[in-house]
Amino acid sequence: MQYQETRRTPAEVLAEPVLGSVQTYEQITDRIASIVLTDKIQLGWLVALTIAMSMLGMMGVSLLGLFYWGVGVWGLNNRVDWGFDIINLVWWIGIGHAGTLISAILLIFRQEWRTSINRFAEAMTLFAVACAGIYPTFHTGRPWLDWWLGPVPGVSTGMWPNFRSPLVWDVFAISTYASVSILFWYVGLVPDLATLRDRAKNKYIKVIYGLFALGWRGSAMHWKRYNTAYTILAGLSMPLVFSVHTVISFDFATSQVPGWHVTIFPPYFVAGAVFAGFAMVLTLAIPLRHVYGLQDFITMRHINNMAKIMLATGIFVVYGYFLELFFGWYSGNEYEMALTYNRLFGPYAWSFWALIFCNGVVPQLLWSTRVRSNEVVLFGIANVVSVGMWLERFVIIPVSLTRTFLPASWGWYFPTRWELSLFFGSIGLFLTMFFLFIRVLPMISIFEVRELAHHKMHEH
Amino acid sequence: MAACDAENNIAVVGKEEVMMGREMQWLRIDSYYSGDLDNPTTLSQPVMCQHCEQAPCEVVCPVAATVHSAEGLNDMVYNRCVGTRFCANNCPYKVRHFNFYQYQDTETPIIGLRHNPDVTVRSRGVMEKCSYCVQRINEARIEAKKEARDIRDGEVVTACQQACPTQAIVFGNINDHNSQVYKLKQQSQNYGLLAELNTRPRTTYLTKVTNPKSEIKQGDA
Amino acid sequence: MHAENTQPPVYGLMVEFDTPETLVEATRQAVAAGYKKLDAYSPFPIEEVSDLVSSVRQKFHTLPLLVLGAGITGLATAFLLQWYTSAINFQIFNFWRVIIDGYPINIGGRPLNSWPAFTVVMFELTVLFSAGTAVLGMFGLNGLPLLYHPVFNVERFSLASTERFFLCIEAADSQFNLEKTQKFLEGLKPTNPVEKVMSSEYFSEGLEWAELL
Repeated sequence: MQYQETRRTPAEVLAEPVLGSVQTYEQITDRIASIVLTDKIQLGWLVALTIAMSMLGMMGVSLLGLFYWGVGVWGLNNRVDWGFDIINLVWWIGIGHAGTLISAILLIFRQEWRTSINRFAEAMTLFAVACAGIYPTFHTGRPWLDWWLGPVPGVSTGMWPNFRSPLVWDVFAISTYASVSILFWYVGLVPDLATLRDRAKNKYIKVIYGLFALGWRGSAMHWKRYNTAYTILAGLSMPLVFSVHTVISFDFATSQVPGWHVTIFPPYFVAGAVFAGFAMVLTLAIPLRHVYGLQDFITMRHINNMAKIMLATGIFVVYGYFLELFFGWYSGNEYEMALTYNRLFGPYAWSFWALIFCNGVVPQLLWSTRVRSNEVVLFGIANVVSVGMWLERFVIIPVSLTRTFLPASWGWYFPTRWELSLFFGSIGLFLTMFFLFIRVLPMISIFEVRELAHHKMHEH
Repeated sequence: MAACDAENNIAVVGKEEVMMGREMQWLRIDSYYSGDLDNPTTLSQPVMCQHCEQAPCEVVCPVAATVHSAEGLNDMVYNRCVGTRFCANNCPYKVRHFNFYQYQDTETPIIGLRHNPDVTVRSRGVMEKCSYCVQRINEARIEAKKEARDIRDGEVVTACQQACPTQAIVFGNINDHNSQVYKLKQQSQNYGLLAELNTRPRTTYLTKVTNPKSEIKQGDA
Repeated sequence: MHAENTQPPVYGLMVEFDTPETLVEATRQAVAAGYKKLDAYSPFPIEEVSDLVSSVRQKFHTLPLLVLGAGITGLATAFLLQWYTSAINFQIFNFWRVIIDGYPINIGGRPLNSWPAFTVVMFELTVLFSAGTAVLGMFGLNGLPLLYHPVFNVERFSLASTERFFLCIEAADSQFNLEKTQKFLEGLKPTNPVEKVMSSEYFSEGLEWAELL
């Protein structure tokens, strides 16, 4: 392996090409497919999966308790009706954005460095959306009636959902996003599934991959339509990825709670989502490339580019925070002024200042090439950003609700252990799905890397 | 408040729940203090659902569980409510109360005798709020229909109105220009709570006219 | 068709190459030689090959049009659904207890046809319908899923999904002649000898049916 990280200057590290040492198509295929097909199950993976699954069990218990006793097990009250449930919905959905952004927008802009990170970033999107989906589904008072939010008439009443409600928009936005993400991911997987089908030694595994590969045979006519469909999907996903967090932000922006009713929310939520998403991609990519020896595919160039995107979107998000405060002051509206004051100096001010530290101060380290070339530091920053983005939603959602118009409607919000356990449980769900994914499906798109290698050879 | 609780089968949620901020009362009395800290003047304001014309709660409900009736009431449809709680978040008056647990005892048969038979007993997971004593309105309407006439002004008396010793609460048809409530609403000191949000509340208040400066003697003004 | 023959019918002749460049060149020559029913197989999309093959097999591309149609359908569906259910008081359908009719209600004093609020769902359904059609249409037009195909009978074809490039001239081509075509393919300097692709009777009959449709 020609990979030596330690004896190079930061600038040299970051100058790595998007594809490591020149490889044949066979080598590329073998390196990625072997993780799925031939590698033995490692002890570390097993331990990690066990921890993740026990966290998942925690989610099961939390949901059972929630079902049995009701939403009362959470710390919500008549002032603050949304807390951890909606914070985590927004947080998870935001994380999902990087996957679609990488797979769709960077494809349209022909950024070839997307190629080796798009597959697992898309997987991350799906799993994050699945985690997000749990919250709106189970946070309702009577979750068994959730289907009333769908576009179906009520049995015997004939009533329809209220299409003016942002929550109905959410139902459409999240389900469309999830469906299109699954389609995009699956279409990308089909040629790789065919590769796995052709390389699998075990008969049963061959049959399973074969069924999912749908008989893909790499015909030139098929590739033609395939590329058309893939580009169309990317073009459709581009507005979609912007729309999802926009619609989520409408939950707040169209309301009239001070601190929610902010017109800058849609763009700033989208930037925040990309910011959080890339933080999560880095959190996953840095350990993955070392554990599975994929440094030739996920090179420091990728890591560097993602860090730069994080820096840019981070600045955008901080600009959003600043504008929120500015609007509060410039509006001259006493409720907005009171909210701004409360946010900065009120009882929950610690969360705001911690947010500024996590999302405003820490990411500024990314200006330095030395920081961007140090994976350990980057991993740390990415995690700080994830915490910061969580705090952002905490500041917006429950903290705004603790101080609304009338002094009589002022209150408190403290999460209970049930909310915490559901949150950790959803992380467990995410990790469980991710650990299973890296052993079952190729975590890097094999055919796209081959194509990239083909283009690279042409350049020389 | 006690009259309201009894009339509308409002559950007693207990001390712990109240401490968590989950009190269950459709009508609350807000107190504002002014003047000296040791001996403040107390101003009381009863706040219940304002039955806004442009209700923020109605627009955000995804299942249309809170809608306008033809008479202008802001109806809460319990059996349609899924419990997203968005309405309570978006209510500027915070007069909506959620059944976080099964507060009502529906199992013990004797408890049923305590309830007002005209009012639904709410289950876990639904939102509830002041209904302007809709059951009394309906009763009056049925009577009026039997006699083939309109509901007379003052025929509908809400529980809070009935119980208020100073007759500070007046209820009636604001489309009827001869009604007492219409006339009171024409007074210059009539105002809507948080009316600047353009919710157009149907419940309005009359400012208390006081004589804050003691040196101005009565009769001078 | 080949019922009198005890041998399974020949689907076509296949040659193998080890680089994409040689495949492009071979495809170009085959197209120039007038072959129409040919197809190339590669482990990743090669634009030149796809263009050459589609120039003789199918010039018109229906997929983008299908997607456009689906998008418009999605948009219209979303608007009609919302407008009808929130603004129109008319019953079209009442079967047992399933009622499909408009249900206009005064919600927050907003107009019944609150079209600005409906645009969100209109956008979402446009994207959903288009994306679904793009994927289903792509697989459908490609004739997938099709788990059996004669080319899989060639032993080395499993490398087509890894590192090898194949060109197949099908027996259905009007110019196809077992000896002449074999000679032509040998002239393209393939890396391995020309392979005869065997079909099964069922598959050939299926192909005939497919062409009738």
